Amino acid sequence: MIPEKSHFLYPAALFAPREPHIINTILGSCVAVCFWDPTMNIGGMAHYMLPLWNGEGLASPKYGNIAIERLMDKLLSFGSKKYNIKAKIFGGGEVIDTHAPYFYIGQRNIEIAEKMLGDMKIPIIASSTGGKMGRKLIFNTYTGEVRQRYVKRQNL
Amino acid sequence: MSELTDKELIEELKKRFDQNKKALAEVQHLNEELKEVNKKLEDSEALKSHFLSNITNEIINPFSSILGLAKNIMSLKKADWKKVQSMVSMIYHEAFNLDFQLRNIFVAAKIEAGEIYPEVLNVDIRQTIKSVIDAFNYELDKKELNVDYKFDIEPVRGDIYYFKTDPEKIKLIITNHLSNAIKYSHKGGNIYIHVWEENENLHISVEDEGEGISKENQRIIFDRFKKLDSGIDSIHRGHGLGLSINKGLLDLLDGDIDIATEEGKGSKFTITIPEAKSNISGFAFDDNEMFFGKDAPEEGESEEETF
Repeated sequence: MIPEKSHFLYPAALFAPREPHIINTILGSCVAVCFWDPTMNIGGMAHYMLPLWNGEGLASPKYGNIAIERLMDKLLSFGSKKYNIKAKIFGGGEVIDTHAPYFYIGQRNIEIAEKMLGDMKIPIIASSTGGKMGRKLIFNTYTGEVRQRYVKRQNL
Repeated sequence: MSELTDKELIEELKKRFDQNKKALAEVQHLNEELKEVNKKLEDSEALKSHFLSNITNEIINPFSSILGLAKNIMSLKKADWKKVQSMVSMIYHEAFNLDFQLRNIFVAAKIEAGEIYPEVLNVDIRQTIKSVIDAFNYELDKKELNVDYKFDIEPVRGDIYYFKTDPEKIKLIITNHLSNAIKYSHKGGNIYIHVWEENENLHISVEDEGEGISKENQRIIFDRFKKLDSGIDSIHRGHGLGLSINKGLLDLLDGDIDIATEEGKGSKFTITIPEAKSNISGFAFDDNEMFFGKDAPEEGESEEETF
């Protein structure tokens, strides 16, 4: 099934609709976490830019630890059961050349997702992370399918 | 394996010591950062509870004024009708403030929920900023402040300069900056608003001649619920959300913010915003595409990608 409605997900936002949607997004060093509940055919996506909120600014889903928690809450509020939810993670490319391990934002973004999903016991059933390319994603919240294309840096 | 000479051995040891030292320094640095973050999170939680009592004032006080003033107007004798105008202007002022505070709170809630999106239009920047300044006329008069508004962009064609961005968000950002500038200005001072374009980016600066911000405070002004006590009025109104909201909104618009401030001399906030590009909401299919189906990959299969 291809949902009629579509939504473009901006960085630092999350989107988990009750009705089936196509969610589009574009990733560089950001990570997108897709949650999908196959028993209810609902899903949502969070697109975060940094791994952890450090108390600066607002506690927004710009930060992985907040984004993943909020996305989970959202699906649970629709009646999903945690043990039904599956995850797919994308992005975290090192699109900016750097040699200081300190600044491996992409890598740290991926790690926080893996760590948190591991703690939450949510299986990661598909992933495409790292590398030096950006990604475009199309996520079908009804079927849980994700289409991905690599994009060159300058297109980000 | 060849033996190392003493000299080589010393060199090698030296190198390793250096590496260790570096690693240790990095760990120490991270530790310091961690401590700081921990402190910040604790503070933020504590402030959140303050916020509730704070916000009650923010909402209830203007409401009480509005109710009181309206009641006064209702009971005015015909002979005193001349007073109505000034009372209505006070009502307007209180309601304006209330509206501004509520807008901020709702936007903050939306940013924290990750449910805010840019709604890009062609924006008449000159007029947008002008309307923000006009809305503060009452406050400006009250503190006898003068706003020097300099718009340094020549429209390419036609009479009006348009810039593709989100008008509501720009408006709120400028409102927050101007409100702060007024709050921290001395009576009778000047506020400078300057707009210019550089490298296809829009720059807007809001400068006051107020107290300025200390080095220490510069690090925390973008944190939520933080208010600086070192102001001119003994009690500053506000919820301490303004700048953290501006930061969040600028993130959304891909913009940036810069502070130049000197204690006792004033502060200058400059925001930089790139022109919005049109959204990309879909793309054509070609062989660069990968497909991640609904099932988990089977044992033994590549766990990376299901095409």
